[in-house]
Amino acid sequence: MAILEVDHIEKHFGPTKVLQDISFDLEQGQALAIIGSSGSGKTTLLRCLNFLETPDNGTISVRGELLFDAADPRTQLEKEIRKKRLHFGLVFQSFNLFPQYTALQNVTLARELLAKERGGESREKIEAEGRELLAKMGLSDREGHYPCQLSGGQQQRVAIARALALHPDILCFDEPTSALDPELTGEVLKVIRSLAEQRTTMIIVTHEMAFARDVADQVIFMDGGVIVEQGEAHQVIEHPREERTQQFLSRYAEG
Amino acid sequence: MDMFLTVIGALNEGFLQTLKLFAVTLIGAVPLGLIVSFGSMSRFTPLRWLTKTVVWVIRGTPLMLQLIIIFYIPGYLLESGSPWPSGESGRFLASAAAFIINYACYFSEIYRGGIQGVPIGQQEAGEVLGMTKRQIFFHVTLLQMVKRIVPPMSNEIITLVKDTSIARIISLQEVIWAGYAFLKSSHGYKGLLWPLFFTGVYYLVFNGALTLLFNWVEKKLDYFR
Repeated sequence: MAILEVDHIEKHFGPTKVLQDISFDLEQGQALAIIGSSGSGKTTLLRCLNFLETPDNGTISVRGELLFDAADPRTQLEKEIRKKRLHFGLVFQSFNLFPQYTALQNVTLARELLAKERGGESREKIEAEGRELLAKMGLSDREGHYPCQLSGGQQQRVAIARALALHPDILCFDEPTSALDPELTGEVLKVIRSLAEQRTTMIIVTHEMAFARDVADQVIFMDGGVIVEQGEAHQVIEHPREERTQQFLSRYAEG
Repeated sequence: MDMFLTVIGALNEGFLQTLKLFAVTLIGAVPLGLIVSFGSMSRFTPLRWLTKTVVWVIRGTPLMLQLIIIFYIPGYLLESGSPWPSGESGRFLASAAAFIINYACYFSEIYRGGIQGVPIGQQEAGEVLGMTKRQIFFHVTLLQMVKRIVPPMSNEIITLVKDTSIARIISLQEVIWAGYAFLKSSHGYKGLLWPLFFTGVYYLVFNGALTLLFNWVEKKLDYFR
């Protein structure tokens, strides 16, 4: 069974339809890349999955559990949403690290607040796991640094560790390298690549076509708020069937 | 020398009243301002408009007028007479009430700017990590807001030190009142001009200390951007 099922999602901003009839499934351990030009609705779709936007229509289910149903207001209560959004992690384009906390504190803060509320995990355990995550990101020597003391690539890797700390079922990336200098994108892509190798279930909105082809299992191409084409990554990026996909990708090839 | 000591003693006593009014105003207006700022940012439109109207009236009229109204008007309207205790304690309470309301409104606008100046991404990052609105405010937004508001708040607080002298209009015996008394007649002296000018030294020294304190706070918050 698919870990994530998205059915007929629609989103309007006023009269503008930003998302129309978006449906797709994602299997456990797979990586899905969403590509498309700016304004095609990719980011809005990720924001819907993370409950930062409320879809006007459609349903979202994780592991067969209905998390969101636009037709059922009970699934939209703030208290419920708080629990449900922990199924998802989100890495932002602009990192959004908390500037007043060190790298390690950024990773542990949410877990510690959760533990304080529910009891259970000790501070030591949370910190040890935070250190381990930062080590995985290659940032062991940056634990005590504040975000303003880190490069963009390092900040984004801290942000990835922060999202992983809550053990989301599905980790989402919103153009994780778009705010980075070209020489810093490599280190972030490398981390995401290694997560894919460990079969982390991921959804990646990206403009890096070669990366999407090599790392993702599935690719969705969006244009004008609809899914134009979806399929196996190599097939969509190297042999797109739809004309619009071909046009989009050829523009990329020209650079 | 005797005269000098007498004057200093009287001015000290006046300045103590100045400090008391200053401290009580801060203790009241700092939290009240936060509540007012939440009101002015409320998604509940009637509350937002009510709050904005109150802030407009309080900021749009002189503090001196507000003091007079708060001190004298209830006595005219209430059959039981003025609700303020007689003597200096009543004048102090009325002054404190007027100053707290007035300064809370000014502070609220500074807070609002500080809160709205924190990027929305901070709030969203907290939400995505499953934090409650309350946790996001206290653990994410608050310190970033404090950092932003230190310069405008220090400005406002230094103004407050000097504004306390306005309470003289209802005869609160603060330091300028005490200095002026020597011009008329006080402690057996008459026609002394210098005590009035000398009160300025009190303000200068105190505000100098406050400036150093605010610089220190700014430095302390310099570790993040």
